Amino acid sequence: MKKSVKKVALVSLALISTGLTSSAFAQQKTQIEFWTWYLSPKFDNFIKGVIADFEKQNPNITVKWLDKQDTIERDFQATIALGQAPDVVNLWNDSTAAAVQNNLLVPITDLTPLSTLNRLYYSNVLNIFKHDSKFYGYPWYGYVDQGVMMYNSELLQKAGVSISRIRTLDDLLNASKTIKDKTGAYGWLPPVSDPNGASFLAYFYLDGLPITNASGQAVFNSPTHAALLQKYVDLMKGDYIPQDLLRKEAFQVTNELYSQGKVAFMVGGPQSLNRVRDSNKDIYSKTKITSAPLGKAKVQTGGAFSLVIPRASKHQKEAALFALFMTNNVNQVKFANVVPIVPTTKAAKNDPSFKTTSQDPIEIATARVAGTGGLINPGFASPKNTDVVYKNFNDNIQAAFLGRKTAQQALNDAVTFWNANAK
Amino acid sequence: MNKTRTTLTAYAMLLPALVLLGVFTLYPVLYNVVLSFSKYTALELGAGKGPSWVGLENYQKVFSDPLYQTGIVNSLKYLVVVPILQIFSLLVAVLVNRSLPAIAFFRAGYYIPVITSISLAAVMWEWVYAKDGMINAALQGLGVLSKTSAFGWLINENTALWAIMFVTFWQGFGYYMVLYLAGLQSIPTELDEAARLDGATKTQVFWKITVPLMKPTLMICSLLSTLAALRVLQEIMVFTGGGPVNSTYTALFYVYSKAFKEFDYGQGAAAGMGVALIGFLLSYVNYRLTRDQQVTG
Amino acid sequence: MIAKTRAPERTRPAPRVRALSVLGKVGTYALLTVILVFAVFPFLWTLAISLTDKTVSNGVSIYDFPASLFPRHLTLNNFTDVYKTFSLGKYVWNSVVISTLTVIGTLFVASLAAYPLARIRFPGRAIILGIILSTLVLPSETSFIVNVLTLRNLGILGTYAGVVLPVLATAFGIFVMRSAYLAIPETLLEAARLDGATELQIWWRIMLPLSVPTLTALAIFTLVGSWNDYFWPSLALITNEDLQPLAVAVLKLRGQFNYDPFNIAAGAMIMMLPVLVVFLAAQKFFMRGLDGAVKG
Repeated sequence: MKKSVKKVALVSLALISTGLTSSAFAQQKTQIEFWTWYLSPKFDNFIKGVIADFEKQNPNITVKWLDKQDTIERDFQATIALGQAPDVVNLWNDSTAAAVQNNLLVPITDLTPLSTLNRLYYSNVLNIFKHDSKFYGYPWYGYVDQGVMMYNSELLQKAGVSISRIRTLDDLLNASKTIKDKTGAYGWLPPVSDPNGASFLAYFYLDGLPITNASGQAVFNSPTHAALLQKYVDLMKGDYIPQDLLRKEAFQVTNELYSQGKVAFMVGGPQSLNRVRDSNKDIYSKTKITSAPLGKAKVQTGGAFSLVIPRASKHQKEAALFALFMTNNVNQVKFANVVPIVPTTKAAKNDPSFKTTSQDPIEIATARVAGTGGLINPGFASPKNTDVVYKNFNDNIQAAFLGRKTAQQALNDAVTFWNANAK
Repeated sequence: MNKTRTTLTAYAMLLPALVLLGVFTLYPVLYNVVLSFSKYTALELGAGKGPSWVGLENYQKVFSDPLYQTGIVNSLKYLVVVPILQIFSLLVAVLVNRSLPAIAFFRAGYYIPVITSISLAAVMWEWVYAKDGMINAALQGLGVLSKTSAFGWLINENTALWAIMFVTFWQGFGYYMVLYLAGLQSIPTELDEAARLDGATKTQVFWKITVPLMKPTLMICSLLSTLAALRVLQEIMVFTGGGPVNSTYTALFYVYSKAFKEFDYGQGAAAGMGVALIGFLLSYVNYRLTRDQQVTG
Repeated sequence: MIAKTRAPERTRPAPRVRALSVLGKVGTYALLTVILVFAVFPFLWTLAISLTDKTVSNGVSIYDFPASLFPRHLTLNNFTDVYKTFSLGKYVWNSVVISTLTVIGTLFVASLAAYPLARIRFPGRAIILGIILSTLVLPSETSFIVNVLTLRNLGILGTYAGVVLPVLATAFGIFVMRSAYLAIPETLLEAARLDGATELQIWWRIMLPLSVPTLTALAIFTLVGSWNDYFWPSLALITNEDLQPLAVAVLKLRGQFNYDPFNIAAGAMIMMLPVLVVFLAAQKFFMRGLDGAVKG
């Protein structure tokens, strides 16, 4: 009788406490957790290969790899707040700035001497992740927004557009109109409101319009700025660029539609070509490469991804080892040969693997961009309160595209908010 | 002695349920009130500090935030789905409440949206609503919409919230149909038949007999549906994330964003208290309405 | 067609009336069919997309109506493709584990707790009943915030236990089981007590076997709910993606660099088909709406 009462109580307590006691088996090895952004499953082989090499060299460290997507910033904050921080995380320009402002990151110079960093990486890239005179990110792979222009030669032919006439962004927009009118396919899909960052700012920069003045106040609401925004708004109104760009990243929409022959141009890093090759051989064979058109200012924008180490990481030393390994010249060159990224290591420029005489679009594009690491320049620094300010900026840009505000009004509101909050 | 043992047995059997309900259901509701008056963010959590009392600060911040006001307005807009959903579900229940051949097949079919996970609904309806999607293709086929004026329903700020509501309607009607069906089947058939013999039309029978007898079920369903509409969150997460231009930013999505994007648990809790209050008021209104409602035939 | 209602005896209806009733039948079925199409068209379209062979011509589009509804070349390649590429196996396994633990736990907690509430007179019963009932009306919309913090303090955030434990004890489950026990004749219990059986033995030997139909219904409801649940698992596993169920993972297919609607559709079907099979096999439980659940 009594026994049975005890039994029930014991069984139920046992059930409730399952999992409360995490199995604490002694671990000889240090495990570090490594996060990437949108690299799986495309580059599983490459990443796993590098991890295997690293583990061979450092037998007492194991690397657990996770690939994150659109929730990376949320998850990064959450795991730190909830006490399960990762050790090495792949971020980009704006998200690194936001993480620094929230005091989440270790300055990498605490772990790696500055002289080493300067020897390995382009200083223009290192500076992207510099905040208040400290460096926070190991430069990983880079990209140039106007790297190359890939185009579907058949669509251009149908529309009677000659590629040699496309020299500037305006030429490109006009060609896009012609192509849409003649073939029904879109021309170029400009990023106008990507969820991460503030993509529209780049168009001001490319046309030589100021974003902030010398004292850091936002000034992008002149009539000239508004006219530029209006130009893009009108394009969307006429369905020369799809409304989908307000909801999804431009590169995703482009990738999706180019392979179906519904988009004529892809501008940027040639990594997009891999997907075209895999999903539509026919269009891949009609794809040609040329240099990308530039804006009035004749400048390029670009950026690089960082590997950062959170303050909350319990294995910062091992994390730094791994971050250095992942971003070293050998592995960046390997990566560039898998997908045409721009290595951020100085030594990559003279690597023999980037000399090509081939006619394959990907080969040509790889060779073109491999040495351009020294040109990477984001154009403008992230404001303080990055996340909040950029969300408001994008909301205003969207309001302009949706016709809820005039272009001028949207930019006025964005500037007002920026100057009130980016302190 | 024997009695004590029986009592002990009873409590031992209740123990797992009481512990779990206490820790995960009762405690959060109470602690949420405490949190709403406290400063508790990622910083405190990361530093291993507990919440500290700040009085009404969170409430002041949240209630003066235009985004929260937008959220409340959108959540209230969402209530429009309730009467439409309830009336439609009741009518469908009446329709399938007969013994026709293959009626079970139709009932089962109507229930399929109910057992569809919200994440799958998101995948499917995103294509339906796309600019080149099924709805626009159908509208163009009917000549209602021209090719040039087509737009994505989830991207247009005037339609996004309604589009998500329509998915709620699609997922809900089978569920409420079953509840109403149970209610209808408990109505004695003699009542209908007597009325029909007295020369009442079908419509009259529906209003004079069915609706009054279904009132308890109607009340429960409307209440469930109202609270679900007010607390809409998952749908927003999987469809739009609050966009375009915050047109689908609901009150509970604000709570979620505060707590799990900005990691300000105090403000999240305060925002949640606002929603709880509205839920309480709506429950009361619903109760009064269904109690006082005069059926006109 | 014989109506099952006990109609009073009538004379044979005139032919015109019969014609009308045939028309009425046709109308009724037309209406039933329209609503059915509305309910299942997204599912059928997704199924069609998932079976479409995307390699036949260059660039098949899912928006090519009506061709995309009736794919000409069928294939299962999208299924194998998405399963391998995204190692869905892991997520399927997570879904299976989470759902199984949830069902077993819910049945255990509810069937155990319902017995004293239904059949034992003990001090405090009314209060406990009241407390359990009150959880139905508590404003629990923001409990997820505190629950994540609780799981963290218990050290089980990001584990299966962390996903499952908070959802096991529900007033709904307890009351469903309680009404099943209340329907069992008292004489059976009296006899057993005279034979010297303990309360636990009565629960195990009499109550449980006699309430198998209700247990089954509760199990199936819990299973489908748990398999489909998106929000709570996504939050409870925010710190540990490795354990995420299919319901959370399937949305990640949408955001992939290589967005492929055919693969997404196949992933969606992999998730949907088990639920559909369970539902079709156990329809009657769903269509009865768990007797007594609404009546409380």
